This record gives sequence, C-alpha cells and structure tokens, in this order.
Amino acid sequence: MTRLRRSVPVCALALLAACGGGDGGPEAAAGTASAGEARSPGILRIAYDREIDVLNAFTSQNLVDIQFSMVEGLVTTNDRNEYVPVLATEIPTPDNGGVVENADGTVTMTWPLHQGVRWHDGEPFTSADVCFTWRFVTAPGSQVYNRHEYLGIVDCATPDEHTVVFTWDGPYGYATGLFEAMLPEHVLGDLTAEEIVDYTPYNRGEALVGTGPFRFAEWRAGEYIRVVRNDDYWRGDSLPAIDEIVWSFVPDDNTRFNALKAGQYDWARILPTQVDEARGLDGYDVFLVSSNSFLHFDLSLNSDNARALFSDPAVREALFLAVDRAAIADQLMQGTVVLADSPINHTSPYHNDDTPGVPFDPDRARAMLDAAGWQPGPDGIRVKEGRRFSFEMLNRAGTSDRIAVAQVIQAQLKDVGVEVTFQTLESAAWTQRWRSGQWEAMVSAWFLPADPSVTGLYACEGSNNMTGFCDPELDALMERSDRTLDPARRKAALDSVQVAVAGEHRFLPLYFNVVPELVSTRIEGHRGSGTNFGSFWNLWSWRLR
Amino acid sequence: MTGWVARRVLQMVPLILGITVVLFAVIQAAPGGPEGALLESGRFIDPEVIEAYRQRLGVDEPIPVQYVGWLGAAVQGDLGVSFSTTRPVAEMILERLPATLELMGASFLLAAVLAFAIGTFSAVRQYSWFDHLGTGASFLGIAMPVFWFGLILQLVFGVWLGWLPVAGRGTVGASGLGDHLLHLVLPATVLSLRYVAGWSRYLRSSLLQALRADYVRTARAKGLPESVVVGVHGLRNALIPVVSIMALNLAGLFSGAVITETIFAWPGIGRMFVQAMFARDYPLLMGILLLGSVMVVVFNLVADLVYGLLDPRIRYE
Repeated sequence: MTRLRRSVPVCALALLAACGGGDGGPEAAAGTASAGEARSPGILRIAYDREIDVLNAFTSQNLVDIQFSMVEGLVTTNDRNEYVPVLATEIPTPDNGGVVENADGTVTMTWPLHQGVRWHDGEPFTSADVCFTWRFVTAPGSQVYNRHEYLGIVDCATPDEHTVVFTWDGPYGYATGLFEAMLPEHVLGDLTAEEIVDYTPYNRGEALVGTGPFRFAEWRAGEYIRVVRNDDYWRGDSLPAIDEIVWSFVPDDNTRFNALKAGQYDWARILPTQVDEARGLDGYDVFLVSSNSFLHFDLSLNSDNARALFSDPAVREALFLAVDRAAIADQLMQGTVVLADSPINHTSPYHNDDTPGVPFDPDRARAMLDAAGWQPGPDGIRVKEGRRFSFEMLNRAGTSDRIAVAQVIQAQLKDVGVEVTFQTLESAAWTQRWRSGQWEAMVSAWFLPADPSVTGLYACEGSNNMTGFCDPELDALMERSDRTLDPARRKAALDSVQVAVAGEHRFLPLYFNVVPELVSTRIEGHRGSGTNFGSFWNLWSWRLR
Repeated sequence: MTGWVARRVLQMVPLILGITVVLFAVIQAAPGGPEGALLESGRFIDPEVIEAYRQRLGVDEPIPVQYVGWLGAAVQGDLGVSFSTTRPVAEMILERLPATLELMGASFLLAAVLAFAIGTFSAVRQYSWFDHLGTGASFLGIAMPVFWFGLILQLVFGVWLGWLPVAGRGTVGASGLGDHLLHLVLPATVLSLRYVAGWSRYLRSSLLQALRADYVRTARAKGLPESVVVGVHGLRNALIPVVSIMALNLAGLFSGAVITETIFAWPGIGRMFVQAMFARDYPLLMGILLLGSVMVVVFNLVADLVYGLLDPRIRYE
C-alpha cells in the first residue's frame, strides 16, 4: 500500500471557519499498511491528551468535550464565543419575549424545546428532564463546579412537554449560558444527588443515555472511549455523517504528534512549538484556535512585602510597562498567540476594542519608579526606606509555557531595577498556596466560559479573587453588568468594566493561549472553539471524506 | 523448609502493616489535596463546592482517622473507591494489570534472553571486540533516557519506515494477535534496554569470577567439554547475584513502567499511578503502592528460595 500524498493549504488563522477546503484528491490514505490499520472511512480517530475521569458532564473535573458527542444541553458555544441553541429551538431574550422581568423583581425565562427528541434508549426527552437536571445541579450534594450560578432559579415549571419555564429571583446576565448538558430523569430519577455523583454505570457510560448524535459504545480503561452513530438522531436521518468516533488517550505531547505524522489519528491538540513543523505535514490542516485561556501576570496585596511594593498603582503600572509582551508573544510563543488587553477574548462580542493596552516602555517605567521614590541601590535593585524592590513569583511545575513567560518577566524587570525570585511548586501544592493567598506574584491562566462576566475574578469577595485587591466602585460596575439581561446594555456595562479593570493595573494581561489543533483533511465541518466546551460542539455536522 | 517459609510469610504481616502506615503518611504529607483537581481545568469553581467535595471524600477528617478507616476496609479486601472516577480501586487495578503484565513480561523475557547471551559471551571472550562492544552498548543502554529513546524509535519505525504503530495497545476494531504484538514491540524494546544493560553487566562480572574459581579449573582438568564447564559449573554459580537483582526487578512488573507507558500510551498501572498522583487520588495511590510493596516483599522471598535451588550449599531451616 502506498501512502498517497498531496499538498494541502494550511489554515493558520484563528478560527478560520472556511478552512479544510481542498481539491478533493484521493483520500483515506493516511494509514500505515504495515501497522495493520484497515481504515474504514466512517471512523474518526482522535488522539486525546488524557484519560478523563467520568462521563457525567456536570461532575467531571476535566474539561468536558468528549461528553458532548453523546449528551446535549439547551445551548452550546460556537467558534465565535456565542451561545447557540441545541435542544432549545431558540435562546430566550427580552427581544423575543422569552425573558420577562416581572413586577416583583423576578424574571421569567421560557425555553421552547425541540419536538421529537428521544434519548438513546428511545424514551422521549421532555421538559421534565430539564427540571430534573435543574434539581440535580442545585442539590447541595451535586458538586457541580458552577452550581452557584444555577441557584438564582427558584422555580422550574413545565406547562407542556416542550416548554420549560424558569423563574429567576432576579436578572442574571449569564442565565442563557447554563444547562450545557441534560440528565435523563427516567434513568437517574430514583437516585439522590449524591448517588448520581457516585453512580458508576452512568459515569462509566453503560447507563449513559443522551440525546446527542452519538451513543456510548465502549470505554477501555487507559486506552480509549468509543461512541457510535445514533441512528435515531433528532436532527434527521442523514445525521450524523460519521459512523464511529474513537478518542484514544495519548498523554505524551511528542507521541501524539508522532502518531499523527504516522497517520494513526485524524485529530489532536498539539503544542504551539509544534505548529511550524505541523504546517509542513501532508494530509493535515493546522487550526490555531484562539482559546479563552487567558494568561496574565498577577500581583497580590497578601503579604507585608507585597503591600509595601504594590499598593501604589503607579508602581504597578511601571512594572507592567517594563514587560515586553510582544516579544513574549512573537518569540516565546512563536507568534501563535493573540496579545490580550482584557480578560474577554477578542473573538467574543463583548470584548471592548477601546480597552487601553500596556505599551512596552522601560524608560518610562524607570522614570515612574524614580518618581515613586524607588531609587537604585548599590546592587542595582531599587530601594525605598530600607526595603529592596524584591518579590517572589510562585510558579506551577509542569506549566513550561508559563514558567518561560515568568523568566522573561524576571529578566525584564531586572532591567528596571526590580528583583524577582522564583518558587516552583507541584500542581496541587501550587493550588493550595494560591487559594490560601500566601503568594506575592504569579503568572496564571483562566479558562473563561463564553459568558463574559469577570466578577468572580475581580470582585472584593470574588470566589476566584485571591489577590487581595478590592475596589467597591469596580464591584458596583461588575454587579450592574451581571444583572443586565439586555445584551446591548450588558455590553455597554462590560465595556466600562474592562476599561476600569485595565486602569487599575492590578494584573498585566499577557495573551490568549492558542490551542493548536491538527486536523486531518478528511474532516469537513470542523470549526474549532476557544471556549471551555471545546471543538466538538458541532460534531453532528462533521463529515469524513 | 516449609516451616521457614511459613515463618517468613508471617513476618511479612507486620512489615506490610508498617509499610502502609508510612505510605499513608507520605501520601498525605504532599501539599495540596484532591480538590486541586477541581481547579486544574482553570474553570471558575464555586468555593462551597470545594468544601463539599472534601467532605464527601472524607479528606477533611484527621489523618489517623482516615488511616484506620482505610485499613479496616483494606483487611476485608476493600481498597476503597477512587476519588476521581468513583470506581472501586481494586477493579481499576485489576483492569490495568493485564496490560502491565504483558508489557513488563515481554520486556523481562526479551531482557533475560539478551542479557544471558551477551553476559555469557562477554565473559567467555573477555576483552574480545564483542566484549568491548557489549560494554559500550551496556553503558549506552543504562545512560539513555527512556523518553528520548522511545521517541526516536517512534520516529524511525513508526513515522519514517511505517513498520510499527507509534502508540497504543492495539488498533481499535482490529482484534488479531499480530496487531497486538506489533504494538508491543516498541515499548517492550525500550523497557528491556535498561535491564539488558544492567543484567548482562552483572552476569559478565559474576561469571568471570566463577570461571577463575578452583572448581572450574578442576572441571577443565577432568576434561569436561567447555560448554559444560561454562554452562553448568560456571553459569550456575554465577547466577546467584544476578537472580536476586532480577527478582527485585520482577516486583516492579506489577507496578508498571511510568515513563514508557506514558510515551507509548500503554494502558498500564504506571500511567494510572501518575494520574492518581497529580489528582491526589489517595485510595487509588494506596492501592497501587500497596500492590507494589507486597510484590517487593514476596519476590524477596522468591529470590531466597531460588538461591536454594541454584546452590545446594544454601539450606533453609
């Protein structure tokens, strides 16, 4: 068997939806005959970077994307950071009458559901399942990571089988982005929330029924998860166009890349440093998906030293002016990433293009530090009132990209007379330190959902604000953006939030990570997605040539 | 003899009990806890959920209480439930055991055959070009980083030549033994390299010593053919130190090979162990480590028994 080769246009633009075109040459050729791989055209083979924990999309601690081949929710997120309806026929908004603010302050939200949707075992999917899912998520024992966001729903009503009505205790901007999955009441209805969390037959797949384009077939421990076509899929008999998908767990980054080079798989996430080589591969396109994984350089006010150094906003700004972010993006990340000025991704409709960025200006940084009273000491490190400008950066072992960024920051701050020392901790230990607030600075990343709220990160009492920074005025701004239902007004509120956050200089936005995806030219319909729902959101429309 | 074995087995009980105490303490002493896995994904987590999670897993209790609870269940054969997968630990280990035994067994077999051949030949033809080559290759094998060697083999045999699959334990859908064996070749080769290098060195020096012994000179003087001199009088005596090394390595058979399994996406216990480590999945870690410890203790006994078989002078009373 010969390996057929043909040249392939490389798609390298972020979120290029029209990618994957080609001249349609002979296909199904990317296999190695001697490895015994008789490749059926209907099987999509994916090299996945880890073995996931459980298949319950609500309780998995990993990023959930394999699950979305089998399980569907009311909505999902597309390649432009927008919510799109799945089991709902449309997303309720004030404009279409689906969201109504009542006189007593509550909000009624009416979701119209698709008719004729059946679970994989043939049972009909109805509005009762939606309310069952709501009861599970909000139960104290569910341990769903964003359970608090669902708590605003005080009532779930089912006027008919295809309509579900939530009553919220007030307006919440993020209300439309919840319910990314559905649980079957007829399977799990007799169990308590705690029992569902521990219910192995569902977690492992044997009892997993969804409404998605694929049904669970097999999970070989340590090897792969296999799903097969749902012949009864509600979108129509011709969908999905793929017969079978296999997610093989290939944890090593280099192995994954080698295996694709050998044609063993059709799809994999690769490293930014592998992109250059990947562009030269026959039979694959490289997608640079601008992920919502937002890398930033955080300062804190947690220790006496940190307070003495970072309390002055001018000093913080000076530190950030000394960091050459463009060099980090172009050289360290080989030009694959997009510089950030705000935590909200450029691909999101809520990004404010007028957010002031931080230029690279070490001379101004020195002048500002001088003006703030930090004078160069005998060893070149600045001193003020007997205190050296020296702080510790907490690194997380294994995140080589972040540590490399931290090293660049360390070197560039040294140029302006600021000393940075490192402490590196293993992941779980790092997390503990971060949560305890016992740190001064770090390079960190958030994986943000498509919903643009940043309150949890920056509010004084924000659940993920471990920095010690607190600004009641900003809190009020963010609160307003969270409690606005009209998208246009919410955008305006978030625009001012982004400007206000940038003006505080409590952190330096670095870049939005890319998650390079190596996609076989056999695959049509892959559009990618930078949200934490991943690139499999539209698997139902993928095709294999 | 039987009484001796029974005594040894009885001595194992307090030993293993002590090991579990140390293991439990060491595992818990690592900073961070299983809730770290919740935050690993970088999503926004409700802090109440983190507390509830710790409570459900029982890690909010004092460590001695947790240990007693674990031990009480373990002596009844219940190793607990994995934090991350919510499945019984024993089931998860048993599920991975065949892949681990297969890979480790294959590389041990391969290593043993090669090491015996190379070690014996090097000793018999000391300072020959083969001996020098073997010495050089052994040091190379000991020094070669496994992850690098594995990737190079993948590149050569998987990507360039296309003879062997790069990773995995089998092609999905293909069920033939041939497909299975093809997947085994690269990881088994990589894993055996280190053992070949080590064992052949031990055997060479041990055999050199034996061949200079008086009884070998006597055997030669009796006019025995060289094959009998080396094979029976020399090799059998030379094996004793090698066997104890091999027996200890054999214990590792059950705990898997972390790096090799990760690189070749082999579904063995070693890889599961690493994942459990990062997730602070205490019950799963305890289960795997307990298995490994028991094996070390058991194979120590096996090594002692094999001495008796090899050397009639060694008697156990």
